[in-house]
Amino acid sequence: MKVNDILSYSFGAIKLRKLRAGLTTLGVVIGIAAIVALLSISQGLQDTITVQLQTGLATDTLIVSTGGGFGIGAGGPMGAPDSGFSLLVNDTKTINEIENVETSVAIIQKACYVKSNEREFIRYVVGVDFAEYKNIYSTAFVAESGDIPLNPDNETIVVGKRISDPWKNETLFLNVNGTIEILWTNATARPPKNETYTGHVAAVLREIGGFGIGGPSDFSIYIPILQARDFFGTDKCDMIIVKLENDDEATIESVSEAIKEVFSGQVSVTSSTAVLDIISNVFSTVELFLAGIAAISLLVAGIGIMNIMIVSLMERTREIGILKALGMKSRTVLLIFLSESVIVGLMGAAIGIASGWGLANVVARVFSGGGGMQLGNHAAATGGMAITPVLTPTVFLGAMAFGLIVSVIFALYPAWRASKLKPVEALRYE
Amino acid sequence: MIGALDKPTEGKVFIEGVDVSTLNDNRLADLRRRIGFVFQFFNLIPRLSARENVELTMAITGLGRDERRKHAEELLETVGLKERANHKPAELSGGERQRVAIARALANNPKFLLMDEPTGNIDSKTAKEIIELVKRLNEEKGVTIIVVTHDQHIALQAKRTVQMLDGLIVKEEVNRHESK
Repeated sequence: MKVNDILSYSFGAIKLRKLRAGLTTLGVVIGIAAIVALLSISQGLQDTITVQLQTGLATDTLIVSTGGGFGIGAGGPMGAPDSGFSLLVNDTKTINEIENVETSVAIIQKACYVKSNEREFIRYVVGVDFAEYKNIYSTAFVAESGDIPLNPDNETIVVGKRISDPWKNETLFLNVNGTIEILWTNATARPPKNETYTGHVAAVLREIGGFGIGGPSDFSIYIPILQARDFFGTDKCDMIIVKLENDDEATIESVSEAIKEVFSGQVSVTSSTAVLDIISNVFSTVELFLAGIAAISLLVAGIGIMNIMIVSLMERTREIGILKALGMKSRTVLLIFLSESVIVGLMGAAIGIASGWGLANVVARVFSGGGGMQLGNHAAATGGMAITPVLTPTVFLGAMAFGLIVSVIFALYPAWRASKLKPVEALRYE
Repeated sequence: MIGALDKPTEGKVFIEGVDVSTLNDNRLADLRRRIGFVFQFFNLIPRLSARENVELTMAITGLGRDERRKHAEELLETVGLKERANHKPAELSGGERQRVAIARALANNPKFLLMDEPTGNIDSKTAKEIIELVKRLNEEKGVTIIVVTHDQHIALQAKRTVQMLDGLIVKEEVNRHESK
C-alpha cells in the first residue's frame, strides 16, 4: 500500500472520531506548549540577562565584598557569615596598589525612603565616587539628561531612569533640577536617628536595563561618596568595584587572589564572567527542571494516546479483519495505526508550539510591562526588564521531535497488537 | 482455510499448488489478494463510500488513484450500483451492500470468489438478484465462484456441490443443469 494511501486512510479514521482525536491531541498540545513556553521564556530571560550583564557590566571588573557570597543587583552579599570584618571606603587605596588594577571604587548602599511630591518609594541609595564610577562603567553610568558632576557639591544626586520615570510612561516622578528627600534611619546610633538628605538632581541616567552587579541600576539613587559617608555616618562600604587593566582570565585570577591575600581571606572576589557563568548554570538547572516537569505532562499525553489507540483497536478489530482478508499485510496495519498516532502527535506538536509561543509572549508581556514597578518596590533590580521570548530552532525541532517520538512510542504496542490479529478471529469479533 | 485466512492445524490446503500451511503471514496476505471474499455480513468499512470500499482493495495492492477509481466505477456498474457509488454502506440496502461487497471482491481480478452465506442476511427477493448477478459473473466473465450456503436453492444452481456435515464431506455431485 502506498504511503499517501496509508496516510489518507489513517486520516479518515481520525476524522471519524473528531472529539476523541481532539482530546488526545489536546493532551499533546498541553505538554508541548508547556515545554515550548517554559523554554522560550527562560531562554529569553537568559538572553536578556546576559546581554544586560555584558552591556551594564564591564567584563574587566571584579567585585570585592565581605563574606562568602556575591551580590546580585543592589542586593549586597547574600548569606555572608559575619566575621565582624568590614571593607572600608579607604581600602580602595590598598587595592589600587595591586598589580594590574587600574582603579577601584567603593560603594556604600542603603535602602532608604525617597520622597518627592508626596510620593514615597523604598530605593537603594548608593554612595559612590562619580568620576571613578563613570570611568569603570563608561557605557552605563551615562546621563540621559543633565550632567553627571565629577566634583559634586553637597546635595547633588544622580538618579536612575526608573527613579525619574517609574511607570515608564513619562509621568515623571523626578527630573533634572528636581528635589528629592532621602530618609534613612541610623539604627546603630542610640537612640536611633532619622536622617534626611535633600538632594538636587543633577542628572538622570540613560536607561540601562534590569540587572547590574555592582554596576549602575535604573532603580538606584546615586549620591557622592563623601556625602554618603557623612549621611550614613560610616566609613564601611558594602563593596568595592575593581577595574582591571584587561579581562584576561589570568589577570582576573591573579588579582582576585591578590585582593583576598591583602584582606587575609576576609573578602570574596567575584568577577563578572564568574557571575555570568553562575547565572547561566542556574538557568540551565532551572530550565532542565522546568522541562522535566513539562515532560511529565507529555508522558501523560503519551499514555492518553496509548489508551485511545487500544480502545480504537478493540473497536476496529473487525475492520482490521476485513483489511487483512482483503490482503493487507501486517506491516501495513501497523503503519496505519502508527500513522494515526503520528498525525495526532504532529498536529499536537504544531498546535502546541504555536500556543506555547503565544503563552510565552503573553507571560513575557505581563512580566516586563506591569511587573516593573511592583518588583521595583522590593528594591530588587530585576523589575522593568523586557523579556523577549526566544524560540530557538532547537526548541522548535525538539518539540516536533518530542511529539513524534511520544506518539510513536506509545502507539507501538497497540499498533503491534493490531498487526498481529488473526484475520479469522478478527472477522468473527463482534 | 480456502480463503487463506487461517492455517490448518492438521492436513494440508493447496491453493495454486502451494501448501498454505508453509506460508508466512506476508505470503498469506499476498495470496488473499488473489481471492475475492464475500461475507454474510458484508463487512464493508462503514466510513468509506461504496466506491471507496471497492477502491480500498486496489489501494492495498498499491494501485494508483486514478486507475483504481476508474476500475471501481466499472465494477460498480457491473453490479448495477453506478448511481449509488458515493453512498456509505449505512445508506445502502442489504442487497446493495452485498453487491458492493461483490464488486470489492472482484476488484483485484481474483482467481476465484469465495462467498460465505452471501444471501444469509438479505431478503429472498434481493437474494435472487444477487444469485443472478453471481451467475452472470460466472458465465460472462468466467469467474470461479465458491459458495458456502445452507440454502438448497442456491446450492442447486451450482455446477458442483459438496455437502458437509460436522466438518466432514458427506456427498459430492456435479449438477448438469445446462444454462438456460
